[in-house]
Amino acid sequence: MIENSFNRRGFLKVLGWGGATVALSGCGNTSVEDGREFVTSYVQTADYIIPSIGTYFNSTCAQCDAGCGIMGRVREGRVLKLEGNPKSSINNGKMCGLGQAGVQAHYNPDRIREPLLRNGDKGEAIPWGKALELINEKIGGVKAENIAFLTGGVSGHVKALLKNYLDALGSGHHYVYEAVAPSIMRAANRKTYGVEMPRLRLDKAKVVVSFGADFLGAWISPVHFSQQYARFRKADNGERGVLVQVESKMTLTGANADRWLAIRPGTEGILALGLINALAAAGLSVPGDVAAVVREYTTDRVSKDTGVSAEHIGRLAALLKERSPSLVIAGSAAEGYAHGSQNATAIALLNQVLGNVGKTVEAPSSIPFPQMAPSTGNRFALQSLNDNMAQDKVKVLFSYGVNPVFTAPASMKLKENLKKVPFKVVFAHYMDETALEADLVLPLNSALEDWATVMPEYVAEGAQLNIQQPLMEKLYPGTLGMGDILLALLKQRRPDEYKGYEDFYSYLRSAMVSNKGALGGSTTDDDTFWDATLSHGVVKLVSTPVNMSGNVSAKGLVVPGPFAEDSAYPFHLIPAVSASLRDGRNANEPWLQESPDPLTTIVWDSWVEMHPKTAAKLGIVEGDIVEVASRSGAIKAQVYVFTGIHPDVISVPLGYGHEAMGRYAKGVGVNAFKILDPVFDKETGELAMHETRVKVSKAGRRVVIVKDEGPAGGNQMGRKIAVRVSSNKVNLSEEV
Amino acid sequence: MYCFLRFSILLVGLIVSAGSYAVNAAQPLTTADDLGPKVEQPIEFPHDRHAGDAAKGGMQINCMYCHTYARRSIVAGIPPLQKCIGCHQNIESVRETPRIKKLFEYWEAKKAVPWKKVHDLPDFVRFNHERHIQRFVFAQNKPVQEACGYCHGDVKTMTVARRQKPLSMGWCVSCHQKDHPVDATSTKTTHGPNDCWQCHK
Repeated sequence: MIENSFNRRGFLKVLGWGGATVALSGCGNTSVEDGREFVTSYVQTADYIIPSIGTYFNSTCAQCDAGCGIMGRVREGRVLKLEGNPKSSINNGKMCGLGQAGVQAHYNPDRIREPLLRNGDKGEAIPWGKALELINEKIGGVKAENIAFLTGGVSGHVKALLKNYLDALGSGHHYVYEAVAPSIMRAANRKTYGVEMPRLRLDKAKVVVSFGADFLGAWISPVHFSQQYARFRKADNGERGVLVQVESKMTLTGANADRWLAIRPGTEGILALGLINALAAAGLSVPGDVAAVVREYTTDRVSKDTGVSAEHIGRLAALLKERSPSLVIAGSAAEGYAHGSQNATAIALLNQVLGNVGKTVEAPSSIPFPQMAPSTGNRFALQSLNDNMAQDKVKVLFSYGVNPVFTAPASMKLKENLKKVPFKVVFAHYMDETALEADLVLPLNSALEDWATVMPEYVAEGAQLNIQQPLMEKLYPGTLGMGDILLALLKQRRPDEYKGYEDFYSYLRSAMVSNKGALGGSTTDDDTFWDATLSHGVVKLVSTPVNMSGNVSAKGLVVPGPFAEDSAYPFHLIPAVSASLRDGRNANEPWLQESPDPLTTIVWDSWVEMHPKTAAKLGIVEGDIVEVASRSGAIKAQVYVFTGIHPDVISVPLGYGHEAMGRYAKGVGVNAFKILDPVFDKETGELAMHETRVKVSKAGRRVVIVKDEGPAGGNQMGRKIAVRVSSNKVNLSEEV
Repeated sequence: MYCFLRFSILLVGLIVSAGSYAVNAAQPLTTADDLGPKVEQPIEFPHDRHAGDAAKGGMQINCMYCHTYARRSIVAGIPPLQKCIGCHQNIESVRETPRIKKLFEYWEAKKAVPWKKVHDLPDFVRFNHERHIQRFVFAQNKPVQEACGYCHGDVKTMTVARRQKPLSMGWCVSCHQKDHPVDATSTKTTHGPNDCWQCHK
């Protein structure tokens, strides 16, 4: 929360004086700068560039990992606004608010502008040549197995160069870490479908049952799914698809659903098995082994375990049976438990029984260049790096595209373990929490001034390689692109192989042009191919659908019963992934802090979301500052009372609470990552994000929550603007 | 009697129509000068040599040959350096003069010439060159130098340009209130827009 003694009265006073000053200075055209201001013309320019008229260049959005194609409007050499690139099959010319804020990442005043070497507590600016030489020297002094490279999800030519660099060092220690990633779902998908990321066809489904997958907000590729969702809601045949969202804390997708079912946390798998049982009872043919497993999940028992009424379960089963094909999605809410893999498998089993595999769950395409395929990350990777650091096995650590000091739970003691690493190199845009721990900070180009290729994990059609190209000149001469840095490092190790490339651009161009046959340019000459590639911003790759080989077996599938009561820590903490802030990497973009959360309308702060019943029981009202304490730590934030949450659950959004990073992120809200308990998924070893149990106590103070919602707290003052009926009053027989 | 009445009505009609014709006749758009500050430029560009009358040693180059953006953008734009060089690399006679040597120095260093702004408006005013050029030059067939000269004065007689007109709001409005024919052949007249948001948006 922002604590400030500057109150409303003071604000108005300043506004008054400020207004008077503006009025005074308004006399006499002070903004006219005849003979003082420069008017700089181009030295050389293309005919299509006309001052004051925007030119659009295609590139790729780097705000999240979905890899949407973007078009940047460039005027007088400055990028002004981003739009979606219609040629990209991921977003088809559309864009989200997070993507729009990409210009604020580029023009951000807190970007690092030159390489910094640690000197005590301070960073000392050094030239690039010295920085790269220092890396060479440090690497030369340690064994290859003691070098570790920690990155976020990487793909394309940067990934290929990174692998070559690690090969040149003789070390295979590449840890790929993503703080919020559907990694348990990926593992479950691999087991059940044979592929990590099958294509979900919401547009082909007549019913979608989503177990906590916020596909309209923050899940995998929201812009793409939003477009599919539009076709699902308004199908060509006029039949409106029905969305049922099952989750413990309402997401944006849940708010859009026809029916939102609040489920007791962690019991998603039980409901899935109960639905299979109900479907079998209703006459759907279910394989014998599956029927045997689900037999004990009677509607009564499932209703008791999950808190979803028997009537709702019956309606849902009838709906699924009546309307085919359907689609069942396991989202982060279902997989965030110690039995997350079982939950995801049970949900996949439901898809299988409903016959959706091959209809609404489709095979993805093969990737022609596996060395550029996206390496997806998980939290297990960070855990293993952390263990190695604790055992002094890491002597030189590189970190790129991640901020583990911010996103790792306090129980991992990552910050302490980092201190054991003698030389840490962090490639960063901001002085974030991880960069502050570094010995050498290397400033990166922004995504709008850098060259790269990106291969997104989720592609809608075929396989696709996205081009990321500079939309304008670098703002600061002291920054470099990741590709350029890796190339320079590779030149130290393999000079013969790489000396021909002046910079990463020339490497990229030659790599692309020499493979133009596979990139759809076999009949054109090199220059035409390259110009077309840059102009389109995406390259369609020749590919075929892979076989979905996996098989869901009910054998050995055990979904544990609901959680036992915990009197010391009675509530489940759901760390919410918001559409704007995600894992916090974009927290220093003020548009994102300023845009209200879609459900609570809160801005510029964290909040603790709780059900009115829970609040009443604890004697808490909106705006009370409460302490949320887990076994691993405690945070304090304002309470927001909201009916869209299970009474056993409280929720705190992620991404807030930076201790560094920049003026817009630092000190705003609290960091919910820190108090997550070290509970792991039993099959994959992933951190179970939803397993943390907490207690809530009043911390004494009460504040006025800063939000867009009206002072009446959304009760609509008696007007029926958005009609709301509690689920036990709904006449289900009149509904779908 | 009737005849006389008819005649007098005709006469009155004629006088009225003649009077209204006189009111509708196009008014001159030129205004008195109000000089701006003298601006020192990195290269003393001779507008008179380039655009001036042939009799006075000028080349009579069209304004829009260099200020090519004026007809298609809100700004007239300073021409890119390559435009200067495009001609001057073939004009050997002046190649060694100080100003042209300086010009080539910028070109060889690939540096933009740091010209100073001569005509500037407050940031809350949006003046559109394209609209004025399209109206006067292309719709009304006014000579280019006359049309540009309404605001910029007689640039063809200057070396480095200097602001000639007040460029104040009252001055803009004084012209927008005058009638002018809608195009070169029409007898219909109109005047410039009077909406606030035409310029303040």
